[in-house]
Amino acid sequence: MPSRITLAIWSVILIAAVAGAPFVLNEGFLRLGTECMLLLTMAQMWNLLAGYAGLVSFGHQVFIAFGAYALFLTSGWLEINPVWVLPVAPLVAAAVAAIIAFPLFRLRDAYFSIAMWVFAEIISAFTMKSQLAGGTSGLPLSTSRLIDFDWFEPIMFWLAGILTIGTIAGLYKLMTSSFGLGLMSVRDNDLAAMSVGVDVRHNRFVAFVLSAAGCGVAGALSFLGNLYIAPLAAFDVNWSVYMMFIVIIGGIGTLEGPILGVIIFFGLRETMTGPLGLSGGWYLVGLGVLAVTVMMVAPRGIWPVLRDRIGVRLLDVHRTSPRPVATVLQKVSEGTAG
Amino acid sequence: MALLDVNGLQIFYGDLQAVFDMNFTVADGETVALVGANGAGKSTFLKALVGLNEERSGRMHFDGIDISHMPAEQVSRLGLIMVPEGRLLFDSLTVEENLLMGSLNRRSGSCTLQRVFDLFPMLGERRRMYPGQLSGGQQQMAAIGRALMSNPRLLLCDEISLGLAPVVVEQIYRSFANIRSEGTAVVLVEQDVKRALATSERIYCLLKGRVSLTGPAQGLQPEQLTHAYFGN
Amino acid sequence: MIWLETLINGALLGGLYALLGLGLALVFGVMRVVNIAHGEFMVLSAFCAVLLANLFPSVPPLLMLIPVIAVSFAVGWIYQAAIVNRVVKSPDPLAPLVLTFGVSVVLRNVMVEVFGADVRSLQIGELSRAHIEISGLNIGIMPLLTLALAALLFVALQFILRHTEFGRIVRATADRRDIVRLSGVRPDRVYNYVMGLSLALGAIGGVLLAVRSSFTPFSGAERLLIAFEVVVLGGLGSFWGALLGGIALGMAQLIGLKIDPNAGLLYAHLLFFCMLLIRPSGLVSSKA
Repeated sequence: MPSRITLAIWSVILIAAVAGAPFVLNEGFLRLGTECMLLLTMAQMWNLLAGYAGLVSFGHQVFIAFGAYALFLTSGWLEINPVWVLPVAPLVAAAVAAIIAFPLFRLRDAYFSIAMWVFAEIISAFTMKSQLAGGTSGLPLSTSRLIDFDWFEPIMFWLAGILTIGTIAGLYKLMTSSFGLGLMSVRDNDLAAMSVGVDVRHNRFVAFVLSAAGCGVAGALSFLGNLYIAPLAAFDVNWSVYMMFIVIIGGIGTLEGPILGVIIFFGLRETMTGPLGLSGGWYLVGLGVLAVTVMMVAPRGIWPVLRDRIGVRLLDVHRTSPRPVATVLQKVSEGTAG
Repeated sequence: MALLDVNGLQIFYGDLQAVFDMNFTVADGETVALVGANGAGKSTFLKALVGLNEERSGRMHFDGIDISHMPAEQVSRLGLIMVPEGRLLFDSLTVEENLLMGSLNRRSGSCTLQRVFDLFPMLGERRRMYPGQLSGGQQQMAAIGRALMSNPRLLLCDEISLGLAPVVVEQIYRSFANIRSEGTAVVLVEQDVKRALATSERIYCLLKGRVSLTGPAQGLQPEQLTHAYFGN
Repeated sequence: MIWLETLINGALLGGLYALLGLGLALVFGVMRVVNIAHGEFMVLSAFCAVLLANLFPSVPPLLMLIPVIAVSFAVGWIYQAAIVNRVVKSPDPLAPLVLTFGVSVVLRNVMVEVFGADVRSLQIGELSRAHIEISGLNIGIMPLLTLALAALLFVALQFILRHTEFGRIVRATADRRDIVRLSGVRPDRVYNYVMGLSLALGAIGGVLLAVRSSFTPFSGAERLLIAFEVVVLGGLGSFWGALLGGIALGMAQLIGLKIDPNAGLLYAHLLFFCMLLIRPSGLVSSKA
């Protein structure tokens, strides 16, 4: 693990960068930066669930939608500036996750993944029928008149920045704690984890709820930036696609992986839709081909390959064994022979 | 020339080495016992012989053919057949279908379904049952039968008495006499050392992945074997 | 009376739904892989059928099923050999899931770019509207034929698996991929054939669905979810269970539409989800 001083210096640099950026970048770049950071947060949340708790979700867009709708509706009912009711988003998303975990956690692997997707489709269908939520055409932010638009983009950027840095810092702390170790053992082999006393269900549950909460607030911020929410956009399975591809390509089960993934994601998008002039569909094709290739060739993602080549350990949460592995094994084999 | 000739075989599990520098021969029609404690490398060795364990180096020749790097699908066609540890029958297939899987590599020879049922009458009565409905002993017979259907020249038997009542083991070994009388060479990996010694002409003992003893089964002193087995 | 008719039509629709699930169930049963791209391959075969029908307007469109099935088999074979076989043996259960999801995204978006996002359907003329009257109930001919075809395919698949050498090899490979090598079988090649068969079955379902309702490149997700729900409702490894599951879903779907015309697949999804809550025993974790 990197030293405390290194971490502290990096944190200061990042915070300064986030704080100062709105004064340096133009609005277009600021929006892009906000989008980057929000997607990074979502990817980290998907990574928490898949890379650490071993659950792949094809329906995480439902939490993005719940968070965003919760924000829009609460802000509208209470007639408060949406920024002040932001906490509603993660809370609602977390509550939904806590409830849905009960039936869903009976399922494993593909069953869980697709059941999440079905759940998202059900909620999507109900939302489209609901007058309260604006039906198929969606809702504008009714309290947009309370927003100071001079500071809107900077504030969105800062909020996204706080969320992202906070998320990564929080995940780092979490994964280096005993909870994190338990979680990683659950991912690797839950039977073995149970036999050493790790509460598998509890660990998975916490990871699931946290990842839902993170997506909830990121989704809320994302749609807040558009000042409009509609079901087709909110429940779009492409949210899960983006999160998944970013994590898979970047490096699943590592904290640095999604960061690399987001860089590749946006780099690819801006290159393909900009200078190359291709439409959005081809960009997704390119992303998909890249993800499939990575899964076949380097299933742990690009970051672990890079890391081993360069020998850099940024946010590594792996423990090292107190004794070299070879000696441990030798003692074990001597103990069991005869 | 030996039917099976293994020279300097090393077998690995990832970074761990399981078998070191092993030399092993079996002559046509011979029965050879391979004994050793749990984890000594016996099953690992058999799996490498048939091509299931691919992390190996060294030379292996069967019937004059170099099988050092041959994949499992091809090895069986040469007549080097294994009865796996734990029987490992196909659970979705009936006894009869399991036996038919054995004849898939279409080697020439005299074994037919009827001959297997003659050897193991209990199987004949249960030909349409599934492995889950059979006792351990019957499953073992089915596994051996499946191997016999390939008309093996060399039969590798991995712990066929494991988990079975002595009466059942007795039954199975009696049918073995039949197999050997056909001229099939056999390698017996056995926990039951006495029985292995009684049934075979030569013996190898493995200790922590190395051959600690080899020689004729007749006239072997118990202390020699104990020493080779436990390594003290 | 209307309700009885709806129920019957729902059961007929269920035959089609079961067909959608059949290919998915086959692959899962043999390889323990849920092919997320199954839906997209179905849509792709529908596009091919429409394209062929437009190219050769004098040929009855349903005959286009023949080349489409053949091509789907080949595509499945290649898909398995080139891509899926790389991850089937992976100890990580997430790998095939993520991989096939990636393929589905690629297929979907390639179809959007190549075919456009317009709504299509396969026109077969009068046959799609033909119906017969049985004691006052209006039953569509096409749905009846579809159910018959589905049942026929089920029977054929069961026969192949139970009474042919190929079927024996497939079942053995599904049971023990390593041990089957000792019989001279190459598991990878078996998987190729199975995936080919799966996509061929999917093609039939996809084309028949395109006759019944319209589709776009985005319709794959819907088809996958239905196929999956059919497989899960019916219980693992049971093809006849899948048929029953399909019928249940079909009935839920049409009854739901009668009550709530704009609900889409909501009621089918709700039935599935309720089953998850009430009868998880049939739906609990796959074999290790």
